[in-house]
Amino acid sequence: MGGQACVLYGAAEFSRDTDFAILASPANLSRLRAALADLQAEVIAVPPFELKYLRRGHAVHFRCHHPEATNMRVDVMTKMRGVDSFSKLWQRRVTLRAEDGTSYELMSLHDLVKAKKTQRDKDWPMIRRLVEADYFRYREKPTAKELRFWFLELRTPELLSDLAAAHSDPCLKLTKQRPLLKLAAAGKQSDLVEALTEEERLEREADRQYWAPLKAELENLRRTRLQPA
Amino acid sequence: MISAEQLVGEEQAEWYSLTPMERWRESSKLWEVYLAMGGSLDPEPDTQSPFFDPSAPSSRLVDGWPGLRVVRRGGV
Repeated sequence: MGGQACVLYGAAEFSRDTDFAILASPANLSRLRAALADLQAEVIAVPPFELKYLRRGHAVHFRCHHPEATNMRVDVMTKMRGVDSFSKLWQRRVTLRAEDGTSYELMSLHDLVKAKKTQRDKDWPMIRRLVEADYFRYREKPTAKELRFWFLELRTPELLSDLAAAHSDPCLKLTKQRPLLKLAAAGKQSDLVEALTEEERLEREADRQYWAPLKAELENLRRTRLQPA
Repeated sequence: MISAEQLVGEEQAEWYSLTPMERWRESSKLWEVYLAMGGSLDPEPDTQSPFFDPSAPSSRLVDGWPGLRVVRRGGV
């Protein structure tokens, strides 16, 4: 669901850690423990690898010590801000199969874009590239679903204006959900750039608010960990 | 209609035009070179992440370099 998924969808070219969205159930956690044991993975930092932390929205971080994956980082999450439950993510997943028969289960592009709306600088250019790649791939014969996705998620002013000019009806229908589409339809490029910046600022602030109590929990866990027994 | 090349340049447009598995293969090539040069699998600290913990143990070397070293710099 992280950088590796971005590679497959066309945004990133290189990512060093691997992020997994998982179903937080006792049985699944047992299977995950076995897989992590194969990788000789240890939990780093906080929180500990427990169901209750995953269910609250924390990520658990691992570092692998297997000779073929020394120091590789693996992060595991089950709940993300603004993103549907795991069961829905799983229903919408994309499966890729490599020549050697290995299957890769990816979070859908629509869900990945939602998951990337964080407070971090680096996620925003990534979102832009993810949606651009999809747009350029399918824009010749778009479905209604694709048009809706692009209207709601494109972050490239030039492409939003192109799209609005080519598909004015769906654009107008979505202006309630995304008011800046009016600016795209009117061809007001500089206002559109400002509105996109503001949209990003509000999302980043919402992410900070969402994380405030979780960060406090992490701080407490760190303090507890550092206290002598 | 603006083209991918006009918007993001030829290199990025070429990347966009690949299929997911083609991107996977290209990314794997980068990995091979990176690891052959001694690159570390340990990512840089993500200081903007809500998960960032400055006290977390790191496998990184104290000078902050993963495995690559500058062995020659271009002269002026």
